Amino acid sequence: MTMLMTAPELVESWARMTAKATTPAARTVNAVKIHGRGNTSVRALDGVSVELEQNRFTAIMGPSGSGKSTLMHCLAGLDTLSSGQVYVGDKELGTLSERALTKLRRDRLGFIFQAYNLLPTLTAAENITLPLALAGRSADPLWLELVIDVVGLGDRLSHRPSELSGGEQLRVAAARALVSRPEIIFADEPTGSLDSRAGGSLLNFLRRAVDDFGQTIVMVTHDPVAASFADRIVFLADGRIVDEMFEPSVGRAVEHMKYLGG
Amino acid sequence: MARLVRAALTRTGRLIGIALAVTLAVSLVSGTFILTDTIASAFQAATASSTSTSDIVVRATAGFTAQANSLPEREPLPESLLATVAAVPGIQAMWATVQGYAAMTDKSGKVIAPDGLPTVGTSWAPGDILDVGRAPHRGEVAIDLTTARRYHLHVGDNIRILFQGGAQNFTIAGVLRRTVDIVAATKAIFDPNTATQWLGQKGEVDAIAVRAQPSATPATLRARINAILPSRFEAVTARQVADEAAQSWTKSLGFLTPGLLLLAGVALIVGALLIGNTFSILVGQRTRELGLLRALGASPGQLRRLVLAEATAVGISASLAGVAIGLGAAHGMLALVRGVGLSIPTSSVVFRIHSAVAGVVCGVAATTVAAFLPARRATLVSPVAALNGSATRSERARAARIGPGAVTTLAGATMLAAGSTHALPTLVATGVGVAGVLIGLALLLPVLAGPVAYAIGAPLVRLFGQPAALARQNAMRNPRRTAATAAALMIGIGLVGVIAIVTASMKASATAAVRQTLRADLVVMTSGTPGSSGGLPPSVADRLRHTPEVGLVSEIRAGQWGLGGATETLLAIDPATVTDMHEVDAASMAAVHQLDDTGVLVRDTVAEHHRWKIGDLVPMTFARTGTRRLPIRGLFSTMAVRTDYVISLKAFAVNYAQPLILAVDVKLAKGVTPGLAEANVRRAMSDLPVAKVMDRSQLLASQQAQIDKYLSPVAALLGLAVLIGLLGIANALALSIHERTRELGLLRAVGMARTQLRAMIRCEAVIIAGFGSLAGLGLALGFGWASVSAVHDLGVTELVVPVGQLAMLVAAATAAGLLAAIVPARRAANLQVLDAIRDSH
Ligand SMILES: Nc1ncnc2c1ncn2[C@@H]1O[C@H](COP(=O)(O)OP(=O)(O)O)[C@@H](O)[C@H]1O
Ligand SMILES: [Mg+2]
Repeated sequence: MTMLMTAPELVESWARMTAKATTPAARTVNAVKIHGRGNTSVRALDGVSVELEQNRFTAIMGPSGSGKSTLMHCLAGLDTLSSGQVYVGDKELGTLSERALTKLRRDRLGFIFQAYNLLPTLTAAENITLPLALAGRSADPLWLELVIDVVGLGDRLSHRPSELSGGEQLRVAAARALVSRPEIIFADEPTGSLDSRAGGSLLNFLRRAVDDFGQTIVMVTHDPVAASFADRIVFLADGRIVDEMFEPSVGRAVEHMKYLGG
Repeated sequence: MARLVRAALTRTGRLIGIALAVTLAVSLVSGTFILTDTIASAFQAATASSTSTSDIVVRATAGFTAQANSLPEREPLPESLLATVAAVPGIQAMWATVQGYAAMTDKSGKVIAPDGLPTVGTSWAPGDILDVGRAPHRGEVAIDLTTARRYHLHVGDNIRILFQGGAQNFTIAGVLRRTVDIVAATKAIFDPNTATQWLGQKGEVDAIAVRAQPSATPATLRARINAILPSRFEAVTARQVADEAAQSWTKSLGFLTPGLLLLAGVALIVGALLIGNTFSILVGQRTRELGLLRALGASPGQLRRLVLAEATAVGISASLAGVAIGLGAAHGMLALVRGVGLSIPTSSVVFRIHSAVAGVVCGVAATTVAAFLPARRATLVSPVAALNGSATRSERARAARIGPGAVTTLAGATMLAAGSTHALPTLVATGVGVAGVLIGLALLLPVLAGPVAYAIGAPLVRLFGQPAALARQNAMRNPRRTAATAAALMIGIGLVGVIAIVTASMKASATAAVRQTLRADLVVMTSGTPGSSGGLPPSVADRLRHTPEVGLVSEIRAGQWGLGGATETLLAIDPATVTDMHEVDAASMAAVHQLDDTGVLVRDTVAEHHRWKIGDLVPMTFARTGTRRLPIRGLFSTMAVRTDYVISLKAFAVNYAQPLILAVDVKLAKGVTPGLAEANVRRAMSDLPVAKVMDRSQLLASQQAQIDKYLSPVAALLGLAVLIGLLGIANALALSIHERTRELGLLRAVGMARTQLRAMIRCEAVIIAGFGSLAGLGLALGFGWASVSAVHDLGVTELVVPVGQLAMLVAAATAAGLLAAIVPARRAANLQVLDAIRDSH
C-alpha cells in the first residue's frame, strides 16, 4: 500500500471515519436465536454482537449452517430473536409491532434474495418500483433513471422476469433494493446461482452503490470472491462471530474460510 | 401406488372445496329420488286406504280420454239409475255419492284450507267408520280426524261450512276414523239430502257405490251390472277407480322428477367444472413431483391412475356425505313442492337404497370424468420436469381460439334463434343451440378473461392502488384458469338470470294483456283450487246482473272435449258482450260476430296446423252429447282468455251438464262511484266464498303472485349453482395462494402490509366473480331471449330484461367474491414471511 492517497480515496476514507463516529446502520447485542423446540432445537445464533457501519459494504461469511441467513433475517426484521436485541438505526426491532416492522422493511430496508426476487406478473420496471407502489409513493425519476442506468437494464425494462436471464433478474432485484434509497440493503448469497461473469457484474454494481451513492450493504455469502468486494468481512461459525477482516482480498478470505472449515 | 394415493390424500385441505361441491350436487340427486319415492308411497298409502268402503262404482263413461294429468270430467247419473242397479242380484249394499266443494271454517271464522289441497264435501257412505259420534242427520256434519285434531273441533261444536252456492251452519255429529285421503285436505260428510242440496243437483248423483255379497266376486258383479246399464254408464271396481286416481296424480307430478333431476344435473355439471379446474391446478402444481416420480420409474399409466384414484376417493366420500344430506334436502324439496301448491298427501320420507346408489354413482362419475383431462395431462409430464425450476407455468390464452369460439357461439345463437322462432324443430334446434353457445363460450372465455379482468379491475385499482393492480395481474396471468374458475359461476348466474328474464317477461305480458285488452271494471273468479272444486256457481252471473251498480255482465265458461283421442279445452263466451269486456283485434272481432250457437271459432295458427278453413266441420266429442261436427264460423288470433277453441254459452249449455263458470267480467253502470259500486258488488258476493272479486290492479297482483309462486322456487334451486360457483372461486384461490407462497412472502418482505395482502386476495376474488357474473349475464340475456321467444305463442308476448334485478344479481355475485376470499385471504395473511422465502422451500 502506498502512503499517498488520491483525492477520491481521501474523501472516501474521511467519509468512513466520520461514519464510524455516528450511530451504526444496524447492530445486534448478544443476539440469540433458537430454532425449533426440545431436543430438535438448534441454536442458530449464539450471542452475536455486531455493529454494521453506515456507507459500508459488509460481508457475512461462514460455512453452511453457521447462522448467516438467520443473522441477516433477524437484522432485517424478517425473524425475531430468542433473546438479545437488534437495532436498525436507533430503533429496537423487538419492540416493534408486525405493522411497524412491515413499514420499516418497506421504507428503510432493501432486499436481494438468493432466488425468487421478482413477481412474475410484473415487468422489470414494475418490479423495481414495487416497494414505492406499495407505499403509495412514486419514484424520483432522476434517481430511477440513474439506478437503471447503473444496473444496465435500460433496454430490458418492459420484459417480464421469465424473459430475463438469472443475472438480469438479480440486477432488477438490486435496482429495486436501491430505488427507495433504503438505509441498508440486505443481500443473501446474491451470486449463489450466477456464473462468475454475471456474479462479477452484480458485485461491481453493489460496490458502486456504496462508493458512488453512499449506500450501506450487508451481504451474506460463503464465496470468498464475492466477499472480497466488501469493506469488511464478519466471520460466523456455529452461531458465533469468530473473526473479522477489513479491506479483504480473495486470498485472505479463502485462507480464513479454510481455517474455519468452510 | 396405494401409498402415493394416501400421501396425496393428506392434501385434503385443498380438496375440501370440491368435496363440498360434489356433496351439494349429490344431495340434490339423492334428494330427488327420495322425494319421488316419498310421493309415490304417499299416494299408494292414500289409495290403499280409500278403497275399503265399496267394491263397485257405477259412473258415467268418459266421453274421451282425459288429458295426461287430470281425471276426465264425468256427467252425473240420474237418480233413477239407483233402482236399475238395485235389481242386479248379488248386491249387499248400495248408496249414491254426491261430492263437491265444501270448506270448513275454524273457530275464528277463517276458512280452513291447508296445503292448498282441495276441501271436499261428500254424502255419507255406509262404509264410513267413525272415531267418535254418529252419522250426520239434517243440519249436522261429520268431519275428518286430521282436521278435527288440528283445529280442535269436537262433537257438538257448531261450525260454518262454505259451499259453492252459499254457506250454512252445522253441528258436528261425528269424527271419521280415516285420516288420509288421496286428494282432500279436509272432508265434510253430510246426510244425502243436504249433500244433494249443496253439492249436487236435484235428481242427480255423482256415482253409485256398490258392496258385493260374499257370494259374488267384484268382477262378476261388475259384469252383471254392466250388462243392464245404459250405454253412457259403466260399472268399474273400486280398485280401478283408486288406481286411476293415483295414476293421474302421479302423472300430474310427472314433470317433477325430471325437473328436479335437471336442476341436480346443472349442479353436477357446475361441480364437475370445479373439480376439473381443481385437479388441473393440482397437477400443474405437482409437475415437479410428478416428474420426479417419472424419473424414478413411474409409468404414465401409473400417474394417471394416481390422479384418478385421488379423484375417485374424493368422489366417494363426498357423495356419501351428499346422500346423507339428501335426506334433509328431500324434506326441503317436499316443502318447496307443497309451497307451489301441488297437493301431496302427508307421509314420512321414504329412503330406498337406489337413492343412495344414484347419488354415489352420479357423484363418483362426475368427479372421475372431470378429473380425466387433468389425469391425462399428468401422464404428459416428462421426467425432466423434476429438474425444471419453475413448477408453475402460466398458460396464455391463444388468440387462435377467437375465430372458432366466435363462430361456434354465433352458430349456436343462430340455432337458438331458429328454434325459438320455429324456423326449425324447436327441441333439436334449442338443444344444438345451447350446446353450441356453451362450447363456443368455453373457447372464448379464456380469451375474454384477460381484457374483462382488466376492465373490472380498473375501478378497483383506482380505489385500492397497488394491491388491486397486483390482483388484476394475478387474474390475468393465467386466463385459462381464471376462465375455468369463473365458468361455474357463469352457469349459475346465467340460469338464475334466465329465470329472472322469463319471470319479468311473463309478468309484463300479463300486465300488458290486462292493461291493453281488459275493458271490464271487475272480474269475478273462483278462489278455490281449480279441478275438483270447479268454478263459480251459475247463480253468480244472475246475482251480478241484479246488482244495481252493475251495467254489463259477461260470463266465460270452460270445458274439456275430445279431438281424435286427445283432450282439448274450449271457452264458452257470450258473443254479444265479450268484446265489450276484452279488446280483440279487428279480425278476431269479426270472427266473434260470426259465432252462433251451432258453430265454433278456432285460433288461426291451430286451424293452419289442421289445414282447416272457415266452413269446415270440427269433430268435437263431448262427455254429455257424444261426437258432434261443429262448423268453423271464424278464425281468431286474440281472445279474452288464452284458448284455441271458442263456442257460445248456449252451445256450452247444450253439450255440458256442469254449469260452472270460469270467470265473470263486470262493467259498472254509467255514472256510479267506482269505489262504492265495487263495495256493493263485493257485498253481493259475500256469502259465496269461492267468488273472488278483483279490480284490475288486484287481478294484476294475483297474476304476478301466481307467476312468482311457480318460478321463485326454481330460481332458489338454481341459486345453489351460484353457491357452488362461489365455492369454486374460494377453492381456486386457496390453491393458487398455496402455489404462490413464495411470491406472497417476497411481497411481504419488500413491504406489503397484511391488510394490503388481504385486499389483494379480495380484489382477485371480486375480479373473478365479476368476470363469471358478467359472462353469466351475457348467457342470461341470450338464453332469456331464446326462452321468451320460444313461449311467445303461449302468451308471453313481451321480452323484458329486468335491468335493475340483473344488475343487482351481478353486483351481489361479484360482491359475494368477498365471501369466497375470506378463507384464502386469512390463509395468505397468516403466511410466515420467512417460511415463504426460505430457499429450502
Ligand atoms: N426454520 C428453521 N427451523 C429449524 N432450524 C433452522 C431453521 N432455519 C435455520 N435452521 C438451522 O439453523 C442453523 C443456521 O441456519 P442458517 O442461518 O440458514 O445457516 P446458513 O445461512 O449459514 O447456511 C442451521 O443448522 C439450520 O439447520
Ligand atoms: Mg443461508
